[in-house]
Amino acid sequence: MSSSFRSDMGTDPYDSVGDDRWIIASASDRGSSRGEIDSLLHGAGYRVRSTDLRHVAIGLEQLESTMVGDQCVASSAEAIHYNPSDLTAWVDSMLSELAPDPHLLRHPLSTAAANTWADPTQQRPSLHRLENHHQHRNVPAVSLQSMDEEEDAAIRLVHLLVSCADSVQRGDSEMAGSLLDQTRLALARVNTGFGIGKVAGYFVDALCRRLYPPPPSATGGGGSAANLEILYHHFYEACPYIKFAHFTANQAILEAFQGHDRVHVVDFNLMHGLQWPALIQALALRPGGPPLLRLTGIGAPSPDGRDALREVGLRLAELARSVQVRFAFRGVAATRLEHVRPWMFQVAPGEAVAVNTVLQLHRLLGDRASPEGGDAAAAEPIDTVLEWIVGLKPKIVTVVEQEADHNKPSFLDRFTEALFYYSTMFDSLEGGRVGGSHRGGQQQQQTVVAAVAEAYLQREMCNIVCCEGAARVERHEPLARWRDRLGRAGLRAVHLGSNAFKQASMLLTLFSGEGYCVEEVAGCLTLGWHSRPLISASAWRADDADDASPPRDHQTLVLQDHSSSITSGSNNVVDGDDHLHQHSVMRSHMGSSDRINDTGSGSSCSRV
Amino acid sequence: MLTREEEEEEQEEEEEEEAKGRRRAFSVNDNVDLLAEILGRLDGRSLAVAGCVCRLWNAVGRRDSVWEAVCHRHVAGGGSSAAGGGCSTRSVVAALGGYRRLYRLCIGPALDRLAGSAGGRGSTTTTAEAAAAHHLSLSLSLSLFSIDCYERLGGRQQRPASLLFLCKPVDVS
Repeated sequence: MSSSFRSDMGTDPYDSVGDDRWIIASASDRGSSRGEIDSLLHGAGYRVRSTDLRHVAIGLEQLESTMVGDQCVASSAEAIHYNPSDLTAWVDSMLSELAPDPHLLRHPLSTAAANTWADPTQQRPSLHRLENHHQHRNVPAVSLQSMDEEEDAAIRLVHLLVSCADSVQRGDSEMAGSLLDQTRLALARVNTGFGIGKVAGYFVDALCRRLYPPPPSATGGGGSAANLEILYHHFYEACPYIKFAHFTANQAILEAFQGHDRVHVVDFNLMHGLQWPALIQALALRPGGPPLLRLTGIGAPSPDGRDALREVGLRLAELARSVQVRFAFRGVAATRLEHVRPWMFQVAPGEAVAVNTVLQLHRLLGDRASPEGGDAAAAEPIDTVLEWIVGLKPKIVTVVEQEADHNKPSFLDRFTEALFYYSTMFDSLEGGRVGGSHRGGQQQQQTVVAAVAEAYLQREMCNIVCCEGAARVERHEPLARWRDRLGRAGLRAVHLGSNAFKQASMLLTLFSGEGYCVEEVAGCLTLGWHSRPLISASAWRADDADDASPPRDHQTLVLQDHSSSITSGSNNVVDGDDHLHQHSVMRSHMGSSDRINDTGSGSSCSRV
Repeated sequence: MLTREEEEEEQEEEEEEEAKGRRRAFSVNDNVDLLAEILGRLDGRSLAVAGCVCRLWNAVGRRDSVWEAVCHRHVAGGGSSAAGGGCSTRSVVAALGGYRRLYRLCIGPALDRLAGSAGGRGSTTTTAEAAAAHHLSLSLSLSLFSIDCYERLGGRQQRPASLLFLCKPVDVS
């Protein structure tokens, strides 16, 4: 009997009261199998099933936050009015119009990252990272409103930072100053303990320092070398980047030294010499016995008369003596790398030389010339240094560099790149810390180590943002540019091999924090956090390293110039055709290394 | 309750049994080399626990040769030790601090970590891959060990912490 009067939707909201009461009575008779209409709301004119009440309440909350919080809601002229008395359908339709995320409608209380609407206008990695971050932290069911506010504040913060950098680039210091104040206010609304808040805080400080530079006496002078060593050491401990660099480089050096019984390693930045114990041990255990190992370490001169380089050398010598590897150490103290000259190494004839640079080569770069000027313009220190590196005829040159482009000519580009790069870096620091060992005192020590590691990164960031000209030494460039540069200097890439890759993967398995990823890119290895590569390791060798004759660096370079001019179509006859022939014959033996960047010489080979 | 005669009888029987036992039975504690051989077949944790049994077992369990067997057995995949010439490896490891320390600092935590991650991924690796993984972990462990030894050499102000990232096991030494 009641079925003929039971209708769920499409009824006239202006039914007479008598009918409604009748429907309510019939619904309550039936029980909750079909869902009763809530009586209180019905008195107000809305039809909502009791079972839908929760869903409708959440939907209304979301609607409110959408319409109030989001400035992008456009009031369209063609408004379609839905029947509000059927509240469930109305809420759903409004939400689907304003927030096109189906998850909201289906699972209103999903805690996983509180999947707020994917705002297509803001494709910033920081937002993505924020979501990832919340996922990792397993934030319990925080109310949707506060999550949105936090992300809003973060987006605003990033936007303000970038605008400030833009005004700095334009030279508008007043605007920059006011934006900086606004940024500080925005910073107060964001949690600066982790994530984007912390990174933004550092960048705000850096911008402030750029706009209002402190007097020169305030910056540390003599003590900074020792401080830098401490910072570096903590950075070494807190995250696997430097370890990865050391292990990969050692593997390449070990393979290159096979069959040689006198070897010489040149380290561009000795620090505590943490890379070398592993190499010494591996050389001690290699089949055929250890070679005579000579190590030349370049480092900053120590201010207080203490010969830090020599101390490191003594420790390494003691270790080598205990595992019975003949070892000799030489220290070269230099404030800047371009002051170093190859005669300081005293490379003996017949030695196999390895050059190892970890995060050093980028210090030698200068300002990148604008594209119109051509890239062979000024003689940068890097060219000089690469020249004498090639002159040493090394069996292997291991190059580890940051995978970022922080040497762009425009300040704004540099700033934005650095913002994303260092926020990923800081993420990885936090991620590694959370997954680490959980024993009281150790965790405390890990926190201290991580904090100092952040200080190390902050120093880099400050240099990128605040300094210009000769003072800016953190001129990171991506792997592709390094390949070009090293190829032009006369080095040929060496494929790193699967052993290095497996070792790196195993190292990461041992390391806590599951966000790290090792990838191989054309024979080079990169280590990154969540598919963003942060550091890259590659190996190179000089062209005629097989040649046992004494170094003829000048001729090697001439050869390169001529071969490149051949490809460009000129008719220069190469001086000394036999040299070219020798060159091409040797190249045909180095099969796999030809793949990369072999523009000039490869084609000249075919002509001969 | 036994009567006095029955108690005496029992005691006599026991003494006889003991005498017979001493003539016939063989206690593993009598032959320390055999004991060492047996202990060398344990895994690291069990060996450390075995060191708590008695002084003799503690002394034998501290022998580096025992730990060497443990390391090679559990790292080289339980077969032929492919980790290079045994003699030179032994001298190098001895110089760096010994196999026991190597296991405690590097191999033990590494195996734990690997087992943890492998368990998560499911055991789909072939024996060859597992052996290769073990060999790599030995060389990696040796590298890490050498770094630790180097840090201890310096006697620097900060305590050696480059292996901080490895979970340090419970110290039962």
